[in-house]
Amino acid sequence: MTPVITMAAARYRYPETDHDALGPIDLTVLPGEWVGVVGPTNAGKSTLCYVIIGLAPQFFGGRLRGEVSVFGSPTASQPVNERSRRAGLLFQNPFTQLSGARERVDEEVAFGPEAHGLPQAEVEERVAEALRLTGLQDLRARHPLDLSGGQLQRLALAALLAMRPELLLLDEPTSQLDPAGSRALFDVLRGLHAAGTTIVMVEHRLEAVAAMCPRVIALGEGRLLADGAPAEVFNRPEVQASAGIPAFARLAALVGKGPPLPVTFESAVEALRG
Amino acid sequence: MARGLSLYAEGSSPLHRAHPLTKATLTLCAIGLAFILPSWPLVLGVGVALLSLLAAAGVLRRFLFVAAGLLVPITLLLALVQSLANPHNQTVILPLGPLAVHREGLYIGLLAALRIAGLVAATFLFSFTTRPADLAEALMQRGLSPRFGYVIQSALQIIPQSLETADRIRDAQRARGLETEGPLPRRARAFIPLLLPLVLSALVATQERAMALEVRGFGLKVGRLARYRIPDSLGQRMLRWGLALAVVAALAARLLGWL
Repeated sequence: MTPVITMAAARYRYPETDHDALGPIDLTVLPGEWVGVVGPTNAGKSTLCYVIIGLAPQFFGGRLRGEVSVFGSPTASQPVNERSRRAGLLFQNPFTQLSGARERVDEEVAFGPEAHGLPQAEVEERVAEALRLTGLQDLRARHPLDLSGGQLQRLALAALLAMRPELLLLDEPTSQLDPAGSRALFDVLRGLHAAGTTIVMVEHRLEAVAAMCPRVIALGEGRLLADGAPAEVFNRPEVQASAGIPAFARLAALVGKGPPLPVTFESAVEALRG
Repeated sequence: MARGLSLYAEGSSPLHRAHPLTKATLTLCAIGLAFILPSWPLVLGVGVALLSLLAAAGVLRRFLFVAAGLLVPITLLLALVQSLANPHNQTVILPLGPLAVHREGLYIGLLAALRIAGLVAATFLFSFTTRPADLAEALMQRGLSPRFGYVIQSALQIIPQSLETADRIRDAQRARGLETEGPLPRRARAFIPLLLPLVLSALVATQERAMALEVRGFGLKVGRLARYRIPDSLGQRMLRWGLALAVVAALAARLLGWL
């Protein structure tokens, strides 16, 4: 099975800095995986997304060493807008992801497919599909600025989905959302994962990561601290010290359950009952 | 929903349905004629034609509302300054102590005001009946680069986006105790701490938006396909040429002294 992402001894350094923001990192992500990325501030989580999509170094400048390939193509040799045919990146701030040029939700979603030169009939089909997947069908005629934060983030996701990416990178997609908005977004992601989309999700809600991502990687100071199942990663002392642990695990630790600490709601309930 | 700098008013009149380039040509030619034609009856004729078109498009009332606030003060100012101080003034029609209102200056001032009214009416006729997105699309279908098309469309959205950001910053500052309402001096003081975060957030947003556009495939060298067909017709093409010829004819007649 050809990996979706391959990183071998990858290091990245932003311009005018004297240390690597990321790396060295070795990482392989296979098709259909859902990988959660956790770590404290400045751990290199966003930089990891930028390196995979190619914005670093193509947009930021700086120096990339080692090997980074997505779908077998080295990121250094493929422009980011070319890569957008197969991979998408959802940023933290939904507001700045708007094209800033469209007056309706459906026109906003159509922006990417149109930039790809798709025929209008296919653009419309993809827009309808993306709006349905994100539950925005009823808002298609609204102005994007009239949407709530949660709706706006779903619109940003719909805009990416309209390009039918096989790889979806999410950089703290719920950081500006309320619990209801986050739940709605996670529901969409569950559906995409079930349909086979590969997802790499940077997320600070550790409970959500533990519950949804079968694989978690923890970063610290740009390096890979741990890589494995949530129960394994969140029980590593170095991860607990830097990224923290899900609230359920903290609760279990307080009442003397573990190690190993339960990291999901269900396992915590079981441990507390036992 | 109309947001942004767009003044577009929903409608189904023939002018609303006309090709954006036809309306753009009509606007430019009307402005050209208003400034080329030398006498007030001819300029008034252009003005009446524009008012008729505004009425036909169902936006006359909206225009008159704007005109009352914009054109009346301009007309009064031009008439006053020209009638009192134009160097060609000779015939006094109203002595005002050391000053006097002159017929020549009054005529020049009113003619200038009439021309400005024509310019405003033509511009509003275009803005009220044309969606900016349709204009950008029509221009791109005529060979304009999609990058320039994007610039046109995004420029019209800058103001509402900035207002949205300013609202959020103002709310945050109000939550920290800053007085943002009340008398003018207090509001002016509140404006200063608003400005720096607004400018900084605009700069950050520009960088993030540039990245987001790249990720959405903007700038790909592909043959961009038309988003939708904007109907054009032989009649409209002939009208555009006719209007352009009318302007050229008026200019030639003016230069040759026939008008």
